[in-house]
Amino acid sequence: MQALNPELLNKVLLNEDHRIGANFKKYLAAGGGEGLKKAFDDPTGIIATIQESGLRGLGGSGFPTHVKWAAVAEQDMSGRANKDKYLICNGNEDEPGTFKDIVLLEETPHQVIEGALITALACHINHIVFYINPDQKRSINVVSKAVSQWEKSELYFKFTQLMHQPVEIEVLASSGHYIGGEETAAIETVEGKFPFPRGRPPFPFEFGVHGCPTLVNNVETIANVSHIVKNGPSWYQQLGLGEAAGTKLFSLSGDVLSPGIYELPMGTPLEELIFEYGGGMLQGKEFKAVFTGGPSNTLLTKRDLDVPMDFESVKQRRSSLGTGAMIVVSEGTGIVKKVAEYVNFFAHSSCGQCPPCKTGTYYIAMLLDKIDTGQGRQADLEQLLNLCEILPGSGRCGLIDGAVKVLDSSLYHFMGEYAQALKD
Amino acid sequence: MIERQNEAEVEVTINGKKIIAPASLSAIQAVWYAGYSRVEGVGCLEGVCGSCSVMVRRKDDKEVNTELGCQTFIEEGMKIIFLGFPTPTHHTYQLTEIQTSWEVQGQFHQIFPEASNCRACGGCNRSCPKGISVEKGVKLASLGKFQEAGDLFIECVMCNLCMTNCPERIAPNHVGLFSRRVNAYFHIRPANLINRLEEIRQGKLSVNKI
Amino acid sequence: MNSRISYQEALRQYQAKHELPLPEAALSMDELLKQFHPDHYQDSLTTLQIGPNKGGRCHRQLADVLQADALIDEADLAAAKVTEVDVLVVGGGGAGAAAALTAARKGAQVILATKLRLGDSNTIMAEGGIQASVEREDSPQAHYQDTMKAGHYQSDRDLVAEMAMDGPDVIRWLIQQGMNFDLNEFGDLMTRRPGGATANRVVYYRDYTGLEMMRVLREAVRNCRNITVMDNAPALELMGNESGHCAGAVFYSTTKHFFSIIKAQQVILATGGIGRMHLNDFPTTNHFGATGDGLVMAYRLGAKLRELDSFQYHPTTVAYPEHLSGSLITEGVRSSGVYLLNGLGERFVDELKPRDCVSAAILRECQEGRGIQVSEQQSGVWLDTPGMELRQPGLLQKRFPKLFHMAGRANIDPRVTPMLVYPGLHYQNGGVVIDKNGQTSIPGLYCVGELSGGIHGRNRIMGNALLEIISFGRRAGEDAAKYVHGRGHKKTSLEHISNIRREIVKAGLSMERKSPLLFPECAHFSLENEKI
Repeated sequence: MQALNPELLNKVLLNEDHRIGANFKKYLAAGGGEGLKKAFDDPTGIIATIQESGLRGLGGSGFPTHVKWAAVAEQDMSGRANKDKYLICNGNEDEPGTFKDIVLLEETPHQVIEGALITALACHINHIVFYINPDQKRSINVVSKAVSQWEKSELYFKFTQLMHQPVEIEVLASSGHYIGGEETAAIETVEGKFPFPRGRPPFPFEFGVHGCPTLVNNVETIANVSHIVKNGPSWYQQLGLGEAAGTKLFSLSGDVLSPGIYELPMGTPLEELIFEYGGGMLQGKEFKAVFTGGPSNTLLTKRDLDVPMDFESVKQRRSSLGTGAMIVVSEGTGIVKKVAEYVNFFAHSSCGQCPPCKTGTYYIAMLLDKIDTGQGRQADLEQLLNLCEILPGSGRCGLIDGAVKVLDSSLYHFMGEYAQALKD
Repeated sequence: MIERQNEAEVEVTINGKKIIAPASLSAIQAVWYAGYSRVEGVGCLEGVCGSCSVMVRRKDDKEVNTELGCQTFIEEGMKIIFLGFPTPTHHTYQLTEIQTSWEVQGQFHQIFPEASNCRACGGCNRSCPKGISVEKGVKLASLGKFQEAGDLFIECVMCNLCMTNCPERIAPNHVGLFSRRVNAYFHIRPANLINRLEEIRQGKLSVNKI
Repeated sequence: MNSRISYQEALRQYQAKHELPLPEAALSMDELLKQFHPDHYQDSLTTLQIGPNKGGRCHRQLADVLQADALIDEADLAAAKVTEVDVLVVGGGGAGAAAALTAARKGAQVILATKLRLGDSNTIMAEGGIQASVEREDSPQAHYQDTMKAGHYQSDRDLVAEMAMDGPDVIRWLIQQGMNFDLNEFGDLMTRRPGGATANRVVYYRDYTGLEMMRVLREAVRNCRNITVMDNAPALELMGNESGHCAGAVFYSTTKHFFSIIKAQQVILATGGIGRMHLNDFPTTNHFGATGDGLVMAYRLGAKLRELDSFQYHPTTVAYPEHLSGSLITEGVRSSGVYLLNGLGERFVDELKPRDCVSAAILRECQEGRGIQVSEQQSGVWLDTPGMELRQPGLLQKRFPKLFHMAGRANIDPRVTPMLVYPGLHYQNGGVVIDKNGQTSIPGLYCVGELSGGIHGRNRIMGNALLEIISFGRRAGEDAAKYVHGRGHKKTSLEHISNIRREIVKAGLSMERKSPLLFPECAHFSLENEKI
């Protein structure tokens, strides 16, 4: 394991120079706006730059960003009455264990806005929505302030000229529901409705807000855009370790000494995050497991501590990076209780449209609570396995899949603990 | 047991157990046919008591439906899970505490305060094994149209699937039952019945035990 | 049984006809019953050798459970939880709910314990309706007389008279619980005529009377503060006290797998019927829990029983396809004019005669080779719904949605294809002897509903069962609440089990069989396995 290298920590997005809130002057003085200027020079080449850089969705999907962008950019608008296109910069961030977007929005709004403008330029988008969790009142205020600073600037004027049309920027508080973070649910909110996920197809790039092509990107993804355009794709590539590109904001929480946000190169080994930067286990307790990518994902145990934290490497260990949240659990914490907590969260958050999701999470939560409180029997444990088998893919969105995934993974790794909690 | 001649058999998975049984059997009958014990979630076996809710996934189908186990015929590759009967609703009321029929609507919103928060997710409709327009019933009741609302719930077997599925904790089936009950309690006053009750009260009728 | 007519053959030859004449009755009603009704099967009857009805006639299979050993020993109850309450109601159907509600509203603390869940019962499946003499041209006197006649004058006159007078008030009470009834355009209760009655007297709600009643009563029970409901708790045995008073019961939780004891000052048993014992191997219309548990428990404690050799077989239960076997097709269908036809396409009985008569007639046709054979063991006759459709198009579908539902499950359209029907075990005519308050010969023990005897004689008339459960359920609830005095029992025991065991051994009977049955065999439940 490498020794703690301060050079690698908080190098780009969480760089001191950028953590200045809505101070436009300071931002420009520190080199802000250079990315946008470069974009002015070659608007049609932006997507290619993003493609070369290898930027992927950092809000959980890991989906190649340029593919989404191209789909929206290349939408045939000729047959449409409504010529609008939308960008929703997704800051709903409501999942337990992930707390990176709030930092970016509250402390570094300008890099996010600059990224959004470049995105709009690349995809011919004339409606930008900063979609923020309503509980983050400070972020909403800061971003609103920052947006008005931009709108009065020369850079912005040049931007609208190049767009050849007026651009509308909105700072929108989401409804506060967890499900509002889902792409199509976000679109519903922007339309003023309850965030019910729509089924797909049609996909947002062809039919989004009011039927218009819509691009939904996570705040962290957008925040990277100006730096990539400013410094070039190979700079971004080299930031990452091994095959991976760029940096990642890791939300570290749980039974560690120093929980918090850590921006580190993609591909940093998990054990480094936990034991070097995170200060190691709390109270000297042994490491037990980590909820990788948050509670709607799989667990990794001791033998995978060495996994490089990038999309492909984590995938090889049959897990996924998700939002980069790492919830660490020590020997002092019960897995059954933790999983019960998470599934209860999902049961509560289910929007209600799909019976297998709402009723399914309810039953799973009920069985887990039963087992966790010492009332469970073998038949209940078997029923959990049966539910894991029947439910995946049955909902309109991925909520039920996430709930089943974390349950399934915990059963795989910690069946012994479940069995011990049973009455019989 | 009556012979089954040439009855096609299918393989299904019920509560994780693989079972091979004739295709004309219901999920409950299939469990017993295979020799397993089952005394929970079994009732009238006719589809009116609501005790046997199951989750069903058909072969090659993405959808998972909630149905009644005694009314679901097994099919090749089907996966079935028996659901446990959920706890009763948190709403309570006494009809006798509603003084007059003029007050029903006001009292309704005190008894079922969540009903006006319906988010129109449609989950209750989809989870109903009897195909009742549950969400519409809740809306009608909220508007004070108890007769209309109650009529939608004629076939309701109170399986509580809609109650389990409601993210706003409305308990729609209990709203439907309340609507039906207030209708009878306040409005059914048959002249033939009342006439007869009067005669009995005045001692005009008796039985000669010949 | 030489020349049998196969189902396929009969179907091919079948032709719906507008009108068909009724032939002369070849046998008198008494002869018909004696020769063909299962109550008269000689080798089905035996004489009881132990207990209060020693020396009396009893159905063989019923005798097996009445004279069987108990399921438990005192030792099984070592760590059992004990709860004390004023009134214990056992049984979650209409009678149990009515009793619990009445007792609770009179101030008693009530526990309602049920083997399955509250509402799982025969009540909820009832379709026909409930009798009450509300029409001008009708009277409680006529109701009384019709009931006595249909029961072959074997009923307890006092009980029948009380019930007939109760009728209208029972309907009022049900309406006040929130139950709906079908009304005509003036708001009057609609009535229809049950087989064997002299007036239109059955009030109803579509063909869902039982469902409507039970869901309303269940909601009322759940909302009642003085009633605690214990689901999934079959009663295994009653308990007595030092003075021969009933003192409570022992339960087993099928979901939590432990024994518990409830001590009560008054116990009301409302455990329903015996259909799932499949007497004489007949299919049954009854719900899953109808295994005669209350009969066994009351008998063991010393209560007298009556008419243990009389059971009602409903004429029209589905005989084909097999997975619907035993499903009830309401008498209302025959009331509306549908014929019964044998394999030769002929009518053979007046369809609106009392049920025992019609069932016996069907059995006669089948036994004498004029039935329709659908498999080696199963035969039946046609319920000629297509004929009715010719006479009054559209009527069937409007009045009997449940029938169409069910036929649809068999891919049959009743307007085009006749249903094959056969008698099914439906109702226990007799039961525990009670007085007009539902009180048995054991102080502190009430029995109400199908469990009790003396009301229907040897044959029940449609609509009297739903009336009985509410009428006597309320009476027992009110009476029980009167005698709740706050002093618990000094000493409770299962001594009566030992007494029964002594009797069994002395009579030379087997100790191998155990009762009550709790669940039908097809469910593969065993308390022994649970105990492990």
